[in-house]
Amino acid sequence: MKRLTHLPTLKIDTSKKISVYYRSKTHTGWYGDTIATLLYADGIRVFGRSLKYHRPRGLYSLDGECSNTMMAVDGRPNVRAETTMAADGMHIAAQNVQGTSEKPVESTPEKDWMGFMDHLSWAMPAGFYYRIFHKPEKLWPIAVSRIRKAAGVGVLTSGYTVKGRYDEIYPATDVCVVGGGPAGMEAALSAADKGLRVILMESRPWLGGFYDYRTSLDADGVPLYRKANAMAERIAGYPNIRVFKNAPVVGVYGNSMVTAFQRGGRDRPFEQRYIEIQTRSIVVAAGCIERPLLFENNERPGVMQMGCAHRLARTWGILPGRRAVFSIGHDLGLEAAIDLADLGMKVVHVADVREDGQDQRLLDELKKRDIPFSRGWTAIKAGGKRNIEKVTIGTVNGMRRREFSCDTLAASAGLTPVTGPLATAGAKLEYHHLTGFFLPVKLPDNVYAAGRLLGLNDPASVEASGRLNGLRAAAACGVRVDSELKAAEAETSVLPGPVRNSKMVTAPVKNQKMFICFDEDTTVKNVDQAMDRGFDVPELIKRFTAAGTGPGQGGVPGHNLPLYVAQRGDSPDVDPRPITVRPPLTPVLLATYAGRNHDMHKRTPVHESQSASDGRMDRAGVWLRARYFSDDRRSRREIENVRGNVGVLDASTLGKFRIFGNDALKALQRVYIGDMNRVREHRMTYAAMCNDDGCLIDDGVIVKQAENDYYFTTSTGRSGATIEWIRYHTRYENLDFHMVNLTDAFGVINLAGPNSRNVLQKIADVDISNEAFPFMGYREFTINDIIPVRAMRLGFVGELSYELHVPSSYMQAVWDLLEKAGKSFKIKKFGLEAQNTLRLEKCHVIIGSESEQRTTLCDLGLGFLWCKSKPEANTVGSVALRQTENQSGRLKLVGFKMKNGLERPPKDGSPIVDSRIRGYVCTARFSFTLNEPIGMALVEDSYAKPGSVFGIYENGCKGRLIRAEVVKTPFYDPTGERMKS
Amino acid sequence: MSRTITCPVCGRRNGYEFRFGGEDKGPRPEEEGMSPEKWFEYTHLNDCKAGIRKEWWFHRDGCGVWFTIFRDTASNREVVRPPERELEAVP
Ligand SMILES: [Zn+2]
Repeated sequence: MKRLTHLPTLKIDTSKKISVYYRSKTHTGWYGDTIATLLYADGIRVFGRSLKYHRPRGLYSLDGECSNTMMAVDGRPNVRAETTMAADGMHIAAQNVQGTSEKPVESTPEKDWMGFMDHLSWAMPAGFYYRIFHKPEKLWPIAVSRIRKAAGVGVLTSGYTVKGRYDEIYPATDVCVVGGGPAGMEAALSAADKGLRVILMESRPWLGGFYDYRTSLDADGVPLYRKANAMAERIAGYPNIRVFKNAPVVGVYGNSMVTAFQRGGRDRPFEQRYIEIQTRSIVVAAGCIERPLLFENNERPGVMQMGCAHRLARTWGILPGRRAVFSIGHDLGLEAAIDLADLGMKVVHVADVREDGQDQRLLDELKKRDIPFSRGWTAIKAGGKRNIEKVTIGTVNGMRRREFSCDTLAASAGLTPVTGPLATAGAKLEYHHLTGFFLPVKLPDNVYAAGRLLGLNDPASVEASGRLNGLRAAAACGVRVDSELKAAEAETSVLPGPVRNSKMVTAPVKNQKMFICFDEDTTVKNVDQAMDRGFDVPELIKRFTAAGTGPGQGGVPGHNLPLYVAQRGDSPDVDPRPITVRPPLTPVLLATYAGRNHDMHKRTPVHESQSASDGRMDRAGVWLRARYFSDDRRSRREIENVRGNVGVLDASTLGKFRIFGNDALKALQRVYIGDMNRVREHRMTYAAMCNDDGCLIDDGVIVKQAENDYYFTTSTGRSGATIEWIRYHTRYENLDFHMVNLTDAFGVINLAGPNSRNVLQKIADVDISNEAFPFMGYREFTINDIIPVRAMRLGFVGELSYELHVPSSYMQAVWDLLEKAGKSFKIKKFGLEAQNTLRLEKCHVIIGSESEQRTTLCDLGLGFLWCKSKPEANTVGSVALRQTENQSGRLKLVGFKMKNGLERPPKDGSPIVDSRIRGYVCTARFSFTLNEPIGMALVEDSYAKPGSVFGIYENGCKGRLIRAEVVKTPFYDPTGERMKS
Repeated sequence: MSRTITCPVCGRRNGYEFRFGGEDKGPRPEEEGMSPEKWFEYTHLNDCKAGIRKEWWFHRDGCGVWFTIFRDTASNREVVRPPERELEAVP
């Protein structure tokens, strides 16, 4: 098709060609074309088939208000062809069309094998799915699979992966303006003039709103499109206005957050990005969309909104067809008819549902061009199989009719405001009799509405409304604008106010296919059926008929449904009630919400050397840690080397803290269950924290470094919450203490095994013999004269071992020195798995493995850590511990071994006694040290004594239990000789 | 959620930066004669009434301070300290 390339309003760049593939053909358009305009210009009229009836569907709006033009693009279904820019090389396919099984050739939307469904619509009244297949129950799955197959929109091919980058940004601003039309731009400018930061959101790829495609003149004789360009240019000159184009708003939350997404692709580094704006005030100037006209076949290809027809020509240079009939209810329709006639389209008739109220100048223009015009007339029926060929128009009462042949019908009942952003913000909307709009009657604080959505029509009024509300939003940010506000109010008061809109009109036909919702194939008849069954509230009718639940998010039926229900209802005096709107106001890709998929984790100071020496890194909380150093998932050699020789483990993830200040001890007494008065210098104390339920939440060691100055460790998982925890439990007292999180400042090396002293002595600058540095001792010394280390003799794995806390920057150096010193002893790294088995042999608990939400300190057999004689400390957990100490029926931690010579540990499972579950297995491993499987379990107290026997129900065991017996713990070195020696 | 919270140290910040610490229920009650039920109520239960509540919040991704604010749970907005008369209704 030849395009109109001379128009000043065009948004295409005719120097850049774009080619896409559709139905094994290349279609060429220009940079600036959407997929829909490119295909339309190349003669495509049927874009897809409808959900239920497989009716042909075509270009209807240009803003994605319905699913008519959803297509599959490069394998991705449900792409909105109207709002997606065409890009070179795109592969486009139609949706919801089916060929025959014999001929699996590409079926086309023009010839849809399922097209017969349209003739079966009588069999599918509203809600038929739920009512008919409800009984017998057996029918339901069949019905679901069959009907599901016939109905539907896009299909995701299995194995499809989303390509491209999905970004997210979180800007903050003072004023956020929703809508980049004249009102929105004026609002942004007036707030920006006050020095405030402004964000302007526009869903189309350019600013301008209902100005950008119009050549009609404003009061000063300036064409509106030029006015829009001038405003956009002014805005570009403001460094404090940030404009997001192609960025539909998803929701407005309260008065301080606006979420949106921005379409990228083409020449942007992202496909789509999520935008979350923190703002102090909000101006909603989202304008209006068109309210569909209800008549027979009102969604046949060739029927389109008046703005769609007009913008196709003005913005993309495409004449919608050769011969057009207009059936409209707004002056914009008259303007479009005149303009399209001037651009070369034959306008055969203009029917206006309004009896009066038209702009006389426009009527004169129609007359000048000999375009027939009739008042009080509306479209009654569109005819034609795939594209319309004729249109019947008639008087609203149906008394007179005329038929015209044409290929385009610009049909629109009038306008309807885009109130979604206001509704999600919590504004109360009510039916407004003059405009026929649902208008906000109560706005949340700091939220303002401006422009055409208030029912304004005159350009000067729309712009003034923007300025006024921009100032109001500035005032809400604390800027003094009293005099300007008064002036702006005075200005608006003398300008034309909201105008009357056309009334709700339904074509005078009965029982025909008039679609109130295109996406869900909901007809006016379906609404009648719902109302006949007693539904009287639009909200419920929406659910029963599915009207407005489709991808268009209520864009097409949002206004007509409540109006129709109110009109047909029993009490016509009751005002129509709007349907509740919820985010997303525009559908968003899940990929956009998934974002960059960044895996945020921390690495220890020796991460590189660990992974370089075959360390298999696993996620452990926020960290990556080495789990194994070989393919052996049981880490046998690592374990045996610790027991028999010397191993070295990176334990840098341990939480490390300093607490100091006059009330440091008091704070520790509050959170640690033991008596912190007994914590000494040069000696580690094992200590535990409980929560208010007496359940163990953390354990670690603590040492005193000076009066009211302590160094303590926490488990890896708790380090992030420790400061919060201690401050929370002291929040009512004004305690004087400070905490420093040293977790990242120090790395930790655990050197363990009978040869560990020999290795460490080689590099330590002090005597570390058992006498000089005994078990549970704490020493600070240097390595190689220079590296300061904090050394502790602990025994988590049950051998002689040293925990060295080393400044992070020295970690790799100390690690290398140890490996070098240990070379003659055949020192070997060990990972988390080896440590897990080693500590299991000693029955040292890991919180979260051997405990859960309900496991108290006493349940774990750690009651000895609890100091009962410090009531003045109000220790967290003490109340609940006292209350549960002797409670019966609790799960207690026990060690168990397998009976009947079973040589493998159980999988995760449940201890069973007398056919009842008595707890669960916590950890079980094969112990190479003892050459038999061992484990720990939480079991009911009555089965917790050594000698008790229980079965274990494993996942997938099909009822065959394995037998286990409770034994004394620990399994290994019960007297602790090895770690103390 | 669309929440901003005013930290006494850092000022008004995005609600995501904060952790909720429950309604303000006052300091820990006397342990003398404490029943498990009473303790449970103090440690776990909030009133969850619609209206202005005094709540604890922690500036987790910020300065690390615990503080109280008044929030209207019906609108999910932080509000200034209500007049004393209304405050009486807030435990
Ligand atoms: Zn803060």
